[in-house]
Amino acid sequence: MMETIIQTHQLTKTFHDARVIEPLDFTLRQGEICALIGRNGAGKSTIFKMLSGQLIPTAGEIRLFGKTGQDVADARRRTGFLVETPAFFPNFTAVQNLEYYRIQRGIVEKKRVQEVLGIVGLANQKRKKFNDYSMGMKQRLGIALCLLSNPDCLVLDEPINGLDAEGIREIRNLLLRLNEEQQITIFISSHILAELHLLATRFVFLKDGVIVEDVSKEELQEKSRKQLVLTVDDPAKSSRLLEQEYPDIDYRVLPDGVISIHNHIESSGDINRLLLHNDVSVTEFRVEARNLEEYFLGLIGGELS
Amino acid sequence: MMNYLKSEQYRLLRKKSLHITSLVCFALIAGAAAVLAYFQKTEPGFRYGTTSFYYSNVLGMTALIFIVSFLFNSSLTGRDTAVLKNAVSFGIRRSTIYWSKLLLTFGYLLVISIIGVALMLVLGETILITDDKSVRDFLTALVNMAPIILSAFLFIHSLKMMKVGDIYVFIVLLVIYGFSGGFLRVGAQKLDILRTFYDYAPDTLLGQNLLDFMSHTIEYGYEYWITGIVLSAAALIIGITKFSKQTID
Repeated sequence: MMETIIQTHQLTKTFHDARVIEPLDFTLRQGEICALIGRNGAGKSTIFKMLSGQLIPTAGEIRLFGKTGQDVADARRRTGFLVETPAFFPNFTAVQNLEYYRIQRGIVEKKRVQEVLGIVGLANQKRKKFNDYSMGMKQRLGIALCLLSNPDCLVLDEPINGLDAEGIREIRNLLLRLNEEQQITIFISSHILAELHLLATRFVFLKDGVIVEDVSKEELQEKSRKQLVLTVDDPAKSSRLLEQEYPDIDYRVLPDGVISIHNHIESSGDINRLLLHNDVSVTEFRVEARNLEEYFLGLIGGELS
Repeated sequence: MMNYLKSEQYRLLRKKSLHITSLVCFALIAGAAAVLAYFQKTEPGFRYGTTSFYYSNVLGMTALIFIVSFLFNSSLTGRDTAVLKNAVSFGIRRSTIYWSKLLLTFGYLLVISIIGVALMLVLGETILITDDKSVRDFLTALVNMAPIILSAFLFIHSLKMMKVGDIYVFIVLLVIYGFSGGFLRVGAQKLDILRTFYDYAPDTLLGQNLLDFMSHTIEYGYEYWITGIVLSAAALIIGITKFSKQTID
């Protein structure tokens, strides 16, 4: 049985009487690459910060590698956290910054610093001060720090922010390689959903501090595979008819009389007939595939910032 | 804790600003002695080329000592606190961070202070006019000052760890170590019990310490230690309690 890496039970966070994370139950198992997806302010970074110890939860429990309470701090040593922007000493070079953390983490092998700089592609920039690094280079150094102590799990909040296309591909391949070769579990968030689609094996959708969906890649592919898109002259009447005929129907009413239906795709002919027989004019009727972003927008609503 | 201490030491030793501040302090100490000695030799009737006057400048410049303490503490608690998240997310406890930074910065201040005092004594006793009691009096006055300076350092450390702005840190220091005696003296006119608190106020004690030194009546005083210990305990309790719950961004 796969080891449970992260487990939360009724994890809650409140800021000034505003609850930003509703009681959250979540489990991450060994070997998973789990994408946490949500709009800005959905609570992704708050969850990551509670896991990393930066924020004290208001209520609930965090279990890391089976450890809970005071022992969670020790369990964090098996995890590499990169939460929000990477923070380093601005006047230190990459080598000095990592050397500081090598000493702090009690890593005996001095060459480990050079190794991780090589892994993230910063070997040629190691003498440059952190202040002079581009955003992409800073992100790479943040990932290098995560890898410094050979973690069993990586928690990465927006790790590909500021990276160019080649950098994104390199980091993706690196993460996939770490996951495949070393069974490193990865919990990641990003606003570049196409990238998450290529990387993750599991998708957790967060809205207003609540997990609204938790699906595997296969389930997501199945769910987002197709949708029925209709343009009608009377969306309100159409909605009524659809709900009467298909009580479990999952649909969204979009502007300009567009309705997207996410289940009962196989009944597309019946749906068309139902609307036409009830004097609803259907001017467009098509079945289309959705990508992760479209699925996300359909699920969460609104725009991805 | 040892690994954290070592890593912070690695950083501290690479802080150029800290070493420059230390050198400036030594230069000021040496410069003051040289100027006094120069005028003593060149200006007939110059009365300040004495060790008593030279040493009294240290005892009278507590504000400068607080500023140096602030600068030394800031070397590990300044703007760089953003990197604390890397330590916390590696499972290093907040208490370890709090104590390690305190021990290192205070240790550094202590070493620099000892060198500074040694430099003063060497220069004072060799190039200025001295008497047989000046060294003993100076060291006694320094011992009296020590617990109050320590408590101020602890307040600086706790407030910096709590991310209190520099201006507010100075305001707190000013109120506790600069004006508390004055406030209590005014209050004592209405409430007699405040008279005792006035006697133990840091600025009252530091002022008395200087006066006793100048009049050659200085003695070790327990009241300095009482005030120092009470203020130190308050600073530590506030700092540890608040920092243990603080959000690390």
